[in-house]
Amino acid sequence: MLLAKTLASSTFKLALIAIGTFGLIVSVIFSYVYLSTASYVRSRSDQAIMTEYLGLRGDYERSGRDGLIDAIRRRMNSGSSGDRVYLLVDPSVTVLAGNLGEWPPAVGSGSGWVEFRAAGPSPDVARGPLLRAMLETFPGGDRLLVGRDISGLDNFTAQIRTAVFSGLALIFVLAAVVSILVTRRTVGRIESINATSRAIMRSGLDQRIPLRGSNDEWDRVAENLNLMLDRIETLMAEVKQVSDNVAHDLRTPLTRMRGRLEKACHGPRVADLDQSLIDDTIADLDSVLRIFSSITRIAQIETQARKGGFRTVNLAEIASEVVELYDAAAEQDDTRLTVAGDREVLVTGDRDLIFDAISNLVDNAIKHGRPGGRVVVTSENSEGGAVVAISDDGTGIPAEQHEQVFKRFYRLERSRYTPGNGLGLSLVAAVVRLHDARIEMLDNAPGLKAKLWFPSPSAWTGIEVSGSPRGSPSP
Amino acid sequence: MTRDRHHILVVEDDPETAGQLVEQLTTSGYQVDLAGTGNEALRRGTASEYAVITIDRLLPDIDGIAVMRQLRDDGVTAPFLIISALGEVDERVRGLRAGGDDYLVKPFSFVELLARLEALGRRSDTVAKETILRVGDLTIDLVSRTASRRGKDILLFPREFQLLEYLVRNEGSVVSRAMLLQHVWDLHFDPSTNIIDVYVGRVRRKVDGQQAYPLIHTVRGVGYCLRAPG
Repeated sequence: MLLAKTLASSTFKLALIAIGTFGLIVSVIFSYVYLSTASYVRSRSDQAIMTEYLGLRGDYERSGRDGLIDAIRRRMNSGSSGDRVYLLVDPSVTVLAGNLGEWPPAVGSGSGWVEFRAAGPSPDVARGPLLRAMLETFPGGDRLLVGRDISGLDNFTAQIRTAVFSGLALIFVLAAVVSILVTRRTVGRIESINATSRAIMRSGLDQRIPLRGSNDEWDRVAENLNLMLDRIETLMAEVKQVSDNVAHDLRTPLTRMRGRLEKACHGPRVADLDQSLIDDTIADLDSVLRIFSSITRIAQIETQARKGGFRTVNLAEIASEVVELYDAAAEQDDTRLTVAGDREVLVTGDRDLIFDAISNLVDNAIKHGRPGGRVVVTSENSEGGAVVAISDDGTGIPAEQHEQVFKRFYRLERSRYTPGNGLGLSLVAAVVRLHDARIEMLDNAPGLKAKLWFPSPSAWTGIEVSGSPRGSPSP
Repeated sequence: MTRDRHHILVVEDDPETAGQLVEQLTTSGYQVDLAGTGNEALRRGTASEYAVITIDRLLPDIDGIAVMRQLRDDGVTAPFLIISALGEVDERVRGLRAGGDDYLVKPFSFVELLARLEALGRRSDTVAKETILRVGDLTIDLVSRTASRRGKDILLFPREFQLLEYLVRNEGSVVSRAMLLQHVWDLHFDPSTNIIDVYVGRVRRKVDGQQAYPLIHTVRGVGYCLRAPG
């Protein structure tokens, strides 16, 4: 099973290609070494033969046939004759001198290089030694053969050849074994990732890819995949939490509507009652739709897709626009709503979203502030970036609940019956995250102070800002 | 060629929604043609001159935006009202950039649709060049940005004046809260509070307080309408 996978894997195919290429190159190199060694050895032996031949021919030219016979005998008796071969015959092919028994039949007359096998030393040895010789036919018809036994050379090149071929074979075998092992290992690791993926698809997100502790790239991959799975699991849990909340908050108005309609369905038609029933139902449906669109809006903000539309915007201007919009509402609640701080506080962001976030905080401040109290929206450039703070002097939020208010649908129990769907602060939190900003809930003693810290535009790369904001830290 | 201000083309593929729209629009005095597919919309859109064309983003054959582009290329000048369940701002902006004149997110109240159709229809046949607008005894001066009733000045903040101007320009037709947010504040979201009502309430106190008759009327569940009596 694993072997079949190994052979089919792309790593193995790559290894095969690598082995093929490598083998070809090694073969070329080895052939070159072999050929050049062989030709070097042969040319050395040819040179020695040629020297001897030239010497003997000189002897013949100087002192005739007898001189040559003497010279041959001398050379044969010099002791170091070893593998040398001499033969001088007269025109009737009678041996005059030399260490070969007869003129080899394979060699005719003429002159030049010849290569032949001598007759074996005894009849039962089929093949005699391989000889290479220089041949000369003198004008009188005498023939001279000067050569060497080159069987040794031949053996030498044959040995080199064997070494080259077995080396090549060994390399191929080794490469094949190594590539199968490496591929097997790769396939094994991938297979464990695949097995985990299949298990996750089958049963759920609780499986993780096992690490081998080898700290190699495979462990890195497994680690990252596991982190990704953790993240997905967290998100799934959040989605479940949210859908539970949505179900809860939508179920309430839907149940109300259903009950109302059911009652009306079974009761008599009364024009006035029907009219108010329809009006109430439409109002409830509107609130359902509002919750729905708030949720989709938050979800959409959290996809970060809107970062594409970020511009440099003036927080102070947005803050004063929000104050202007809520001025009438504050007046109605007998609250004094004012704006303070710097006139130009530049940040990089989405005007609509920042407006929405600040208005949510202002809206909360007015609703939960003290009647007759005051709400101040301050925007300023500070050391850590741009800040917009919304402070009221109402009852505030207990310190231990400061974090929780940003959870979707979270509402403090005591304000359960004030209007609003509890999504406002979740939206603020989403907007804050999108802008890489941070929110702080502080005790305003009395009341609550919500502070939004935005990174100053210079912290964003690639966005040019004209007019650097006052008091921003210099880079 | 003058176009009939009440002749509109509705492009909508869901038969029930389409039926409701045609019925309600006809009751409101519109002459409605219906196209159920993008191809039909292309055919009808070029065949007659419409005051407004409402178009669904998601059609079974061709994308609503592609239909709109094609019709514009064919020389159709009628304003487009894009109606879609794809609600978020990006989609909205995409639709408007592609040549749509206004955008309405499903589900919408019929009165909201009517208000937007009115506003679009008016935009397509009048270009206001006057600098002084009058409704009943209300006069607003677009140059000096002042308003008065029976010669008595009304003190308005700049944004309040903008709001009044928008109501006056749409005299006699319903203006929804979303339309006010869009045109007066340039905001493209629903703040999901009654903040607009409170704001309009204050403008109304300034404009209608201690006068012979009210000009700004609330249209329940939708928005406002500015009109003189009679």
